[in-house]
Amino acid sequence: MIAQTRELIARWYSIPLLIALWQLAVSSGLVESRLLPGPGRVWDALVTEVGNGVLVYHAGVTLSRALAGFLLAALLGVPFAMAMARSRLVRNLFEPIFFFGYPMPKIALFPVFTYIFGIGTPSKIAFTFLECLYPIVVTCYFGFRAVATRLIWSAENFGAGRATVLRRVIVPAAMPSIFAGLRIALPVAIIVVVITEMIGDSIGLGYYITIWSTRFTFANVYAAIIVIGICGLALDQALLLLRRRAIYWQGA
Amino acid sequence: MRIKAASLQHWIVPIAVLAAWEIFGRAGMLPRYLSFPSAILAALWEITLTGELFTALAASLYRVSIGFVLGTAAGIVVGLGAGMLPGVRHFFDPLVSFLYSIPKVAFLPVFLLLFGLGHASKIAIIAFSGFFPVFIAARHAVLSVDRLLIWTARNMGTPGRTVFLRVVVPAAAPQLFAGVRIGLAHAFVVLFAAELIGSKAGLGTIISYGEEWVRFDLMFAGIVCFAVLGFVSDRILLAVRARVLKGQMLGTEERVTG
Repeated sequence: MIAQTRELIARWYSIPLLIALWQLAVSSGLVESRLLPGPGRVWDALVTEVGNGVLVYHAGVTLSRALAGFLLAALLGVPFAMAMARSRLVRNLFEPIFFFGYPMPKIALFPVFTYIFGIGTPSKIAFTFLECLYPIVVTCYFGFRAVATRLIWSAENFGAGRATVLRRVIVPAAMPSIFAGLRIALPVAIIVVVITEMIGDSIGLGYYITIWSTRFTFANVYAAIIVIGICGLALDQALLLLRRRAIYWQGA
Repeated sequence: MRIKAASLQHWIVPIAVLAAWEIFGRAGMLPRYLSFPSAILAALWEITLTGELFTALAASLYRVSIGFVLGTAAGIVVGLGAGMLPGVRHFFDPLVSFLYSIPKVAFLPVFLLLFGLGHASKIAIIAFSGFFPVFIAARHAVLSVDRLLIWTARNMGTPGRTVFLRVVVPAAAPQLFAGVRIGLAHAFVVLFAAELIGSKAGLGTIISYGEEWVRFDLMFAGIVCFAVLGFVSDRILLAVRARVLKGQMLGTEERVTG
């Protein structure tokens, strides 16, 4: 019991320690409390803004945009990666687009997206889709390529048809890579939605941060940042849970 | 013959897209905000002649390189430290796991107030956001170094410093580079957001001027420069990695991405 408590303290002490230091720095006047309000004031702002539903509303907007773009990218990206891995023609046609486009900062294209789709939700979803598509396709592509040929041969040898091989051999074998790609893309989705909301919108957490920082109410800005962090953690945990269910044979 | 056919097929989609864009653009069948390729090239030439391109490029390059180097250096040092020393690891782990999922751009307003609208605020936020992926990669890389290697070295009486420099760091290097590459990608995203949200210089400004003056060719010229800059930086990083990790990348699929 005591050993467990000790372990817990050793693992988590840094967060209370930093909050204490933060409080100390603010109350000693070392940092300007307008820029960095004390932890108490941030907590108050968080409780108020969550309580009256404002932060919940904006978080809902941001999350639904991020998830929409992400799911769209996953639904189209995984089959597309499989097609690229299995078919030489598809691979030759689209490889340059994915492998040369991958390291390019696609964020620069966002202004074009706002012209095509408007500044509201559609352009954010479309852009999140694009940003998530790249890591998903590239990671899954390598996963599908790496499926051991002898697994496929053995299955075919036992008389499995194309569809069975696909469903029972190829997809399960590539599952870890699929989840690796999804896990890279999910935080990207949140990051991209918040950034594009900061660039221009009237709803969402990115907008909330911009508007309250122009009003110099930084307690609200930090409260929103905390909400983003919690959303990100929750989504990542949800994905890990899904992964454990989907790849039950791999353990942790 | 087969290789030739493959490389021909590689060019089909990009060329078809560019050609269709050019033809429909010239015919006026595209919306005005989709300026066509030759107009974009002309705009690029125009800002090259006036020198605007070089001022903007210099500003962006300065910010991204200094910020990236600072963030990467801090990430490597702290990450290796966290990998080696449980004390450091326990201090940073909870913090990083919480901060990692937050887009660092969310701190931009705070950084703008702290460091002003000039270079310093962009460098700081780029370094800040570049730190995290590098830290995580370095930490995991050190922890996943084969214990047998370390034990072997220890067993032969190698001093701790030598074990670290000659065993741990080389073994951790490939994973470390993967983190640095992610950090570089983050650096460009943050650079763009920072230049668009609060800045008076850099490639981001060319893009926003293009929008303001309804010069969409100029906007695309900025976008093209930004994409090329990001792409070239990534290639330079891969070249550096290929040199540093000579012989360690055999058998990996890196060739295709790299």
